[in-house]
Amino acid sequence: MLTIILFGIIGSMLTRDPLAYSSHFAEPPNSEYLLGTGNFGEDVLAQLCAGTRNSLMIGAIAGSIAMLIALIVGGIGPYKGGLVDEISNAFTNVVMVFPMLPLLILLAAMLEQRSMFLVAALIGLTSWPWAARCIRSQVLTLKERGFIDVARMSGMKDRKIVVTEIMPNMLAYIIIVFVVSLSIAVLTEAGLSMIGLGPDPGSTVTLGSMLYWVMNSTHAALPWNLWWCFIPPGLILTIFLVAVFIMHTGMDQVFNPRLRKV
Amino acid sequence: MKNPFAHPFAKFVLKKIFFYSVVAFVALNFIFLIPRLMPGNPIDQMIPSGTTDLGRLRLKAELEKYFGLDRPLYEQYFNFWANLLRGDLGYAVMRGYNFRPVADAVMAKLPYTLVLVIPVLFISYFLGNWIGARAAYMKGKRSEAVYFTSVFASQMPFYWFAMVLLFLLAVNFRVFPTGGTFSPRFIPSMNLASLADASRHYALPFLTLLIITTGGWATGMRSMTLYELDSGYILYARQLGFRKKKLASYAERNAILPQFTGLNINLNNLIGMTMIIEMVFAWDGLGLLALDAIRSRDYFMMLGTFLVTMIVVILGNFLVDLAYAFLDPRIRTGQGG
Repeated sequence: MLTIILFGIIGSMLTRDPLAYSSHFAEPPNSEYLLGTGNFGEDVLAQLCAGTRNSLMIGAIAGSIAMLIALIVGGIGPYKGGLVDEISNAFTNVVMVFPMLPLLILLAAMLEQRSMFLVAALIGLTSWPWAARCIRSQVLTLKERGFIDVARMSGMKDRKIVVTEIMPNMLAYIIIVFVVSLSIAVLTEAGLSMIGLGPDPGSTVTLGSMLYWVMNSTHAALPWNLWWCFIPPGLILTIFLVAVFIMHTGMDQVFNPRLRKV
Repeated sequence: MKNPFAHPFAKFVLKKIFFYSVVAFVALNFIFLIPRLMPGNPIDQMIPSGTTDLGRLRLKAELEKYFGLDRPLYEQYFNFWANLLRGDLGYAVMRGYNFRPVADAVMAKLPYTLVLVIPVLFISYFLGNWIGARAAYMKGKRSEAVYFTSVFASQMPFYWFAMVLLFLLAVNFRVFPTGGTFSPRFIPSMNLASLADASRHYALPFLTLLIITTGGWATGMRSMTLYELDSGYILYARQLGFRKKKLASYAERNAILPQFTGLNINLNNLIGMTMIIEMVFAWDGLGLLALDAIRSRDYFMMLGTFLVTMIVVILGNFLVDLAYAFLDPRIRTGQGG
């Protein structure tokens, strides 16, 4: 059911893409423009599709970066144990306390030109601690399993154990952590874009930039009662996030048998 | 005599103090590093755009000298710490601030942010946990309705929810003002009229934050309570014929403790959320100040707001940890655990 929602979003992205203005200003939803038009005649549905695609793309890039750091910090530490573990764990804890959103706002504000990739990279660099912690706990439980000991006793190299024994067993877990990181990144990106700190809102449409134009005084959909301009992007975000959340709790029950009965 | 530091509670506090000092140290180094590492030079921003090339060079050299940027890096670093410890964060160059010290300006805005963050943090904690605990006992349709409402509330993008509320309650029904802290042309003073005026402006940002955070607590508490209700000691107590109320109090007391550790992360998120919500509702706090600073490229102000937010978060986290130690009997008495 959830995958259907996700696929619905991905499918809808493939339909249209324009950023163009038309002569139909501020029309409510009608048969030609299914979701209406904005104050300058932008097609809201087309923007929505392009925005969803771009937002998910940013989320995917940011999620991958976060995952990569998380795998390194959260994966190697507990496996090696000892001092390496202490350091990596302390590092994660220190970063965890940081208020990431203000830091992100500051970093984004310092950049003159923000491309999609740059924003994604920033989000990725600031959002990994949560993923690192999840992976750490998972590695810790896996490490104690018998087959790892067998592998170690049979003289396998550490790297080979990690790649061939631990990773395949964690793959499903890694994927779910990645999806959650992605959803957090999408949410963060939209928030950044909404206050005008995302990728250039003039040339890149994201779900956040749609909200930015709604708030921005020149387009100002809010005082004009153009509800169809800002309800859809938020709704898509909400549906997406709720779906990921339910997926996540579902997977939690799989990986944490004690929760299963609940 | 017994060593007072040997007591587990003291040990815990010392450990936490050490930990948060490290965090603060790292955070403050960030303040030093960020403008030096990021592309784009604050000095370039200060030079008016009409300046000739030669003038630009000379002005740049002059400004760098003025801000001590021509010194070697280690000296800059020491100066940075010296200024910081003196509470000198530079001067606001943005419009409307007339070179007021940044520390001053930020401190003046801080109460407005705290007045949003602190009540939301506590009210949502109690309200959310109460709803969550109740939701754990509900059955059938009602349970599902409550669960989905709270999931929905917690997963909604908060800035979007703020806009929806703004649209419904302020633009369409005009119940609340659309933004600001006081009505335009209203001169705030210490009387009831300005309190009433401020609280009308306060309602929307407060509600937004409250609903979003409450949803998060409620979902968490619901699953925690369900989990505890399912555990051995409750089953045993039920077999013994304990009253339902007694059972509930046992389960909830155990369920709320892990929830309390979530307060840390919640505080971090809440600060970030509040900054953006302030921008949406033009509530006159740190977030709005940061946005103004960003728009007018005032680097001192940007770093200043960030610094103060950071300190608030670190202090808040420390207090939460202390409170946790106080509540958890294992740490308080030093037995078990």
